[in-house]
Amino acid sequence: MRGLNVALASVNGPGDVKVSNRLYNRSHLEVCYSPSTGHSMIRERALESVIMRTVEQAILVHLHPRTAINITIQEMQSDGLALSASVNAACMALLDAGIQMKTTFAAVTCCITPSGTVIIDPTEAEIQESVAEATFVFESSGEASVLTAHQDGRLSYEDFKKCLHHCQVASKDVFAFYRRMTEKKYQNEIES
Amino acid sequence: MLGGLESVRVVLPGDEVMSYNPDSSGGSIFLGPGLRWEDGMVRAAKAGLLKKTSRHLYFVDTHQKRYIPQRREYVIGIVTKKKGDIYKIDIGGSEQATISFLSFENASKKTRRDLALGDLIYGQLIVANKHMEPEMVCIDAYDRAMGMGVLPAGGVMFNVSLQVAREIINPDCPFLLTLSKKVKYTVVVGMNGRVWVKAAHQNSMVALMNCILMLEYMTPDEANEKALKLLEALM
Repeated sequence: MRGLNVALASVNGPGDVKVSNRLYNRSHLEVCYSPSTGHSMIRERALESVIMRTVEQAILVHLHPRTAINITIQEMQSDGLALSASVNAACMALLDAGIQMKTTFAAVTCCITPSGTVIIDPTEAEIQESVAEATFVFESSGEASVLTAHQDGRLSYEDFKKCLHHCQVASKDVFAFYRRMTEKKYQNEIES
Repeated sequence: MLGGLESVRVVLPGDEVMSYNPDSSGGSIFLGPGLRWEDGMVRAAKAGLLKKTSRHLYFVDTHQKRYIPQRREYVIGIVTKKKGDIYKIDIGGSEQATISFLSFENASKKTRRDLALGDLIYGQLIVANKHMEPEMVCIDAYDRAMGMGVLPAGGVMFNVSLQVAREIINPDCPFLLTLSKKVKYTVVVGMNGRVWVKAAHQNSMVALMNCILMLEYMTPDEANEKALKLLEALM
């Protein structure tokens, strides 16, 4: 079930920016999302917009005026979780690039079946059969506030709260993964 | 630990390092790169190893390739343009640095130091902040070169990650000395991740370059043996 959604993300910056995009007090952020098959169309533009607004809340843009930070995401495989895989890949790429951020962020997708069960990380087939799907991006502080919420379908307020709660719990795993990977990267230095 | 530095733990952006209130707490602490103080709490802004020195200086050591210009750092730049009395130098940051023709030893309005496009310059950044474009000079406060200036022809320059450059510059790290036991060479290391090496023969230079590049993937101890083996094979 898991492991079928793969996204490759890379971050370039803070670097040179075109005069038309230059901002006097902050960095210009650009997200470029490429699907695994076909050309980039409206769906990809929408994903780029969601990812951009999430990332903008995390990066400390005022530290790098008159520069640009480019985030490029290539969708390798998708089984319904393209958005959350891309957001998480973008977060890891930002951590690796050493861009200063306020917080790390983690995305979790869930869907609600007609019988009212919440499924975390559903497959494409499960999403098709569901009543509604929601993706939440959380920040890493104790209260795990929501940075972005993207929802499709019809959700009652109670169901929305249920999805939010389940996703919040699942996001802890993603943050634990980021920490494990960072510890692995600096393993040699810690030992010496 | 190298030189009084202590690794505390791995931190991610947003992690709380300590709470600090300037009124209540006894001593003062110093925050270096990668840390921010907001609402009485010190948080990490980068993913890396939190380190502290014996003098209560805390910072986050990150492995990254992108150079952000910092005042008083020594960098290697490439001359890209001449604009009147100023040269534009690419130092690997988001903006190009400028250097005046007067910022060289023994330069005056009558005796100009002419730089060709593509020349390598080793100098110090005297202006580097987020508001202004960086400026560098090749003289110190007493108008002496102190090793700065145009690098001679015939060497090879390559890029390394910033932490590798910092590692080999560190006086406690014997890596460059170990290499010198096998090959005689000149090396200039810029804090912007650029390393320039010159030796008698081209194959020595390429071998030295590969030895230093090994440090990207290995600790200096592991790289020591492999580097010596590589240089042996040259002889």
